Amino acid sequence: MKKPIILIVLFLIIGSVLYAYKMYNKPHTDVVTTDAAETVSAEDIFAAFDNDEAAAMLKYADKVIALEGILLSKDLSNELEPQIVLDGNGYDGYIRCGFKPEMLPKIIALGENNPISIKGICVGMNESEELDLLADKDVVLSNCTLID
Amino acid sequence: MKKITILTFAVLGLGLVAFTNHGGGIYKTNTGNINFFSHTSLEDITADNHKVKTAFDATSGKIQFSALIKDFEFPKALMQEHFNENYMESTKFPKSTFSGTIENMAAVKTTVDGIYTSKVSGKLTIKDVTKDVSTVGKFTVKGGLVNTKATFTINPEDYNIDIPKTVSGKISREIKITVDADYRHAH
Repeated sequence: MKKPIILIVLFLIIGSVLYAYKMYNKPHTDVVTTDAAETVSAEDIFAAFDNDEAAAMLKYADKVIALEGILLSKDLSNELEPQIVLDGNGYDGYIRCGFKPEMLPKIIALGENNPISIKGICVGMNESEELDLLADKDVVLSNCTLID
Repeated sequence: MKKITILTFAVLGLGLVAFTNHGGGIYKTNTGNINFFSHTSLEDITADNHKVKTAFDATSGKIQFSALIKDFEFPKALMQEHFNENYMESTKFPKSTFSGTIENMAAVKTTVDGIYTSKVSGKLTIKDVTKDVSTVGKFTVKGGLVNTKATFTINPEDYNIDIPKTVSGKISREIKITVDADYRHAH
């Protein structure tokens, strides 16, 4: 009678340790293989954040979002994360998308002022009314990938 | 009449030279780096954000930063989840900002290649809590690019970041923040 109990307890302990180890080492979201939770235009996601940031955070943040918009510029000034900028509202609103460094050759090949489709994890809108030097508004996506 | 004309040109010329040497204007980047590092005997924790928005006014010395909390990437996904959900509540408090002054802006010649230092002080806001911070910034000017590096430490408890007792031994009370940004003249 004692033996089965010891075996069950041992099984539970080993199971818990394995589960904890798996959780501790779980990988980051792979944007390439994850289906987009939402597909939206650059203008629409920018308007959602600009109108109600708190509601947009609840709707889009931490999710893989597929986005279509016009590529305004490439910002390759930080080799650790090449970035592109899409038009958000035609004047002071943008979508800033960060890529892994290995994506650099594909980013360089992109043509500016052309339509583009990307997928990435939404991390929020970088703007602050109190900071006058940083008046532009950027909805930011990370770990982006290009959609063919 | 001739004297007045010469004097006018002289004053205008001197003014132009003074303006050019001072190198005023706004310097900006959207790709600044902020790293934070927590060291304890049990665990080292580090995270990086490469999309920090920052600018400074080379005339007044005003300097500002804005960083999205969810944009800090950790080596481990679970750490990142805990950081955002348990400690920073980053959906509710999505960004951290700094607004301050480069105190000795006149000594930082943004148009002359060289290495300069100045005390930088201001207000750091995390989780809607604002505290005074100060540090010494190193400004390296090369070919029109101004690289700025600075480090300072914060105590998470000062910013209402509650650390549960079960993990308190793994998170330092002195988090080292390192800022590294390459600014370009904006206009």
